[in-house]
Amino acid sequence: MIDATHADALDLSIELGSLRLRNPIIAASGCYNRGAEFGQIMDVSAYGAVTLKSVTREPRLGNEMPRLLSTPGGLLNAIGLQGPGIDHFLEHDAPKLTTVPTAVIASVAGFSVDEFADVASRMDGLPGIVAIELDVSCPNVDAEGACFAENPASTAAVVAAVKARVTKVPVIAKLTPNVSDIKPVARAAEAAGADALSLINSLRGMSIDVERARPWLANRSGGLTGPAIRPVGVYHVWEAATAVKIPIIGMGGIETGRDAIEYLMAGATAISIGTANFRDPLAPLHVGETIAAELRKRSLRRVAALTGMANPGFVGARP
Amino acid sequence: MVSTSLLEAAELISRERVAPGFWCLGFRSPEIASRARPAHYVAIDLPGAFAVRLPLGIWTARDDTFTLLFREWGERTTRLACIADHEPLSIIGPLGNEFSIPESGQRAVIVAGGIGVVPFWLLVRELLAAKVRTTVVLGARSKHMLVGVDELRALGTEVKICTDDGSAGTRATALDLARDLPLPDIYYGCGPPPLLRALSEHANASGIACQISMEETFGCSMGTCWGCVVPIRRGSEQSIGYPRAGNEKREYDFARVCADGTVFWSSDILWNR
Repeated sequence: MIDATHADALDLSIELGSLRLRNPIIAASGCYNRGAEFGQIMDVSAYGAVTLKSVTREPRLGNEMPRLLSTPGGLLNAIGLQGPGIDHFLEHDAPKLTTVPTAVIASVAGFSVDEFADVASRMDGLPGIVAIELDVSCPNVDAEGACFAENPASTAAVVAAVKARVTKVPVIAKLTPNVSDIKPVARAAEAAGADALSLINSLRGMSIDVERARPWLANRSGGLTGPAIRPVGVYHVWEAATAVKIPIIGMGGIETGRDAIEYLMAGATAISIGTANFRDPLAPLHVGETIAAELRKRSLRRVAALTGMANPGFVGARP
Repeated sequence: MVSTSLLEAAELISRERVAPGFWCLGFRSPEIASRARPAHYVAIDLPGAFAVRLPLGIWTARDDTFTLLFREWGERTTRLACIADHEPLSIIGPLGNEFSIPESGQRAVIVAGGIGVVPFWLLVRELLAAKVRTTVVLGARSKHMLVGVDELRALGTEVKICTDDGSAGTRATALDLARDLPLPDIYYGCGPPPLLRALSEHANASGIACQISMEETFGCSMGTCWGCVVPIRRGSEQSIGYPRAGNEKREYDFARVCADGTVFWSSDILWNR
């Protein structure tokens, strides 16, 4: 656990809009839920916050199998947003959130602007939920047209509709790396009122089973995660940090503290760990220790001082 | 803090190549060995650029050691086969649910295909201790792929063997041999999906209870990611019981092989959907 005694007088707390987290290390959506499973192995309070699996309006059974493929340095997945829907979530899952030993960020996914606004508004103000992340970039869902986050206008429409109805907690827009330039999308989300950005979501990919001459995944394409995508994530964070002033949560292939520091130096205020939990459930502890060591080495007291350190174009607020 | 840790630093203590491409590795871990139950597995973090752990069923467990019997199949199993004594190996386990044990005096027939023999050393030991009359039918493509026979016989159980090419035992499939036996009170199965499906259909048609241990590509191995699901009958014990959308045409639920399984009742699994 990262606390004052362990990290001397270091200040690892960060701010995402009006939200203050005691450390910048967040569990990514879809990989951790509220920590009940990994809580059998480690102390979930090592995380500054955990992000729940995305909730949709209707229940979803998800994709057929196979849903996963291990690739070099990565994991290709197409789960298909399997989940119980918002009604079941509110009745059965939400009451358990106050027992989670750290802050909880909810995640909302949707297929229309109205669905995002509806589901997010029903989570606003729930005990235990400190922020709402909008999964505007899930690449696995077979909806009409491209995903919202590939387009600045549709990203802005989702964020604006949610911000009109969510008033109690910050709203985070999680953007896709499947664009040639992240900056217009990031600017659109900021202009629509997003309090923070999460980037990146998984990178769209495919693998073919050569013997059977067909894609490995039942969904054909999937989202690539894991260390293989880290340079893509660092680049997009760097780019977005030159375009928007709102804080950025950096993610994509973070396994170690050095990986996390790369994201911070590129311009992230906080970082998320996703797939690496599957390999090393103690990753948040190791990342926290390495960040603390880096601060001491540089005679810095606040983790916020690392944000944008390597990025001369960084335009966000410096502490 | 967390009281019962599933996360162990295991020490490699033995390595044996039991057949071409098949390995048996022994590890010292009193925590895992003492808690291992039939069908339990472990998830191993291997050195190298692997995004996820390698899940492997536990073969034997005695005192403070357990063994993993596996076939080299893919990069992670190949990496494990050549792990050096000094290389750190983090193991999570034991994981998964376990086989049910019938009443004393009942009869059990175990049907295993190839490396599907793995969960059955612990099960046979448990069945014999419970005085369940047990027969193992073990099949493989050829005699070079028939592993685990001696260890099972050493437990004192009857093991019938067969191969597809007749190079050892009868030229037959494991299910062919099992069908020739009197109907038992329960079947257990593990092996390639076509064998498990045929065994399930035979057991269901005969009205005999049957548990099978399934295999899938795992992501988290802990039940969080929903990557390793199997379609099961709605309302069955391992069904998640979610509501469903009005436009959902699929009549089944998904259960997680890693956390709800790996053991399922054959009557709950939907092979034809």
